[in-house]
Amino acid sequence: MKNKILMPLLAMTVLLVGAGCATNAHYVQTGGNQNVVTIGQINIQDYMQAADTMTGELLASGALNRVANPPAVLAISRIVNNTGQQIDMDLLTKKIRVALLQSGKALTTTTVGLGGTAEDPMAKGIQQENDFKSDQQTTRTPDFTLSGKIIQLAVKAGNTSQSTFSFQLSLTDPKSGLAVWEGEKEITKQGTRSSVGF
Amino acid sequence: MKTGNFLTLASALLLLFVSGCKTSMNSVENAQKTGQRQMVSDQRAITDKSLASKVSIVGVNSAMTPGGFLKVQIELLNTTRSPQRFSYHFEWFDANGMQITTLAPVEIPDQIQGGEDKFISSMAPTADGRDFRVKFIAL
Repeated sequence: MKNKILMPLLAMTVLLVGAGCATNAHYVQTGGNQNVVTIGQINIQDYMQAADTMTGELLASGALNRVANPPAVLAISRIVNNTGQQIDMDLLTKKIRVALLQSGKALTTTTVGLGGTAEDPMAKGIQQENDFKSDQQTTRTPDFTLSGKIIQLAVKAGNTSQSTFSFQLSLTDPKSGLAVWEGEKEITKQGTRSSVGF
Repeated sequence: MKTGNFLTLASALLLLFVSGCKTSMNSVENAQKTGQRQMVSDQRAITDKSLASKVSIVGVNSAMTPGGFLKVQIELLNTTRSPQRFSYHFEWFDANGMQITTLAPVEIPDQIQGGEDKFISSMAPTADGRDFRVKFIAL
């Protein structure tokens, strides 16, 4: 008799606890401490942290101030992905571009790109047309190019996995071919499984 | 007899567990400082007393970068003997007290060893940044 009362009570308690632990879909702040953390992948908060740190370092260095006609013009060059995952580089570069634009220290060209390709082909077409009509070059050549690499280093000890993502960037003066600023941000994550939150 | 053995083993395990969690830090630095820190008087709002008692704010100093950006550095001290995990993020305000909106506030996870004294810093996203606020959350 006792079991007949206890068993449904126990089942109900388990159900209630289970329901309490399950989370319905909800919004979280991008890059906040409630974001999912995975060990083997670069998460959004990692891109944000890397971009924020390196933009700060670049602005603090004063390298962008050393141009004849400020603000400096920046062209995005090759950023090599040496990780095991597919990466859309704009997740890193766009954040840096926006932050530099907001700072007022640099503008990014969308008509000069790697291998002659333009990010904005229409703007490039209009620019070429204007150059042809006025018979002079109106295009401002970039003062700097931004190149870099993302490297992943994965190791394991027992059940614990660890991944280090190294974000490396170089700002080069194309006139001299010298890197006038270089930055590196390393992010290391360790654990046995993915988790929600830092 | 069995209870005695069990208690000894349990105490040994507990000791091992506790000592494994403890960290400490020794450091050395030059006594005659050449650099002069420009300290900032700060105003604190503490809602997590537990974190505040473990990780205390020693001081805040600021400087202007060559590019004209305000840079702030905060000295933290772990008053406990175990490592503490926390995250922080900076908010920046212009001369009118309006918050400078950036892409998204970056929350930075960090860790401080037992007894360690460390610095965290950030720079205003624009040259208009005059004031700041830093939020700390225990992890």
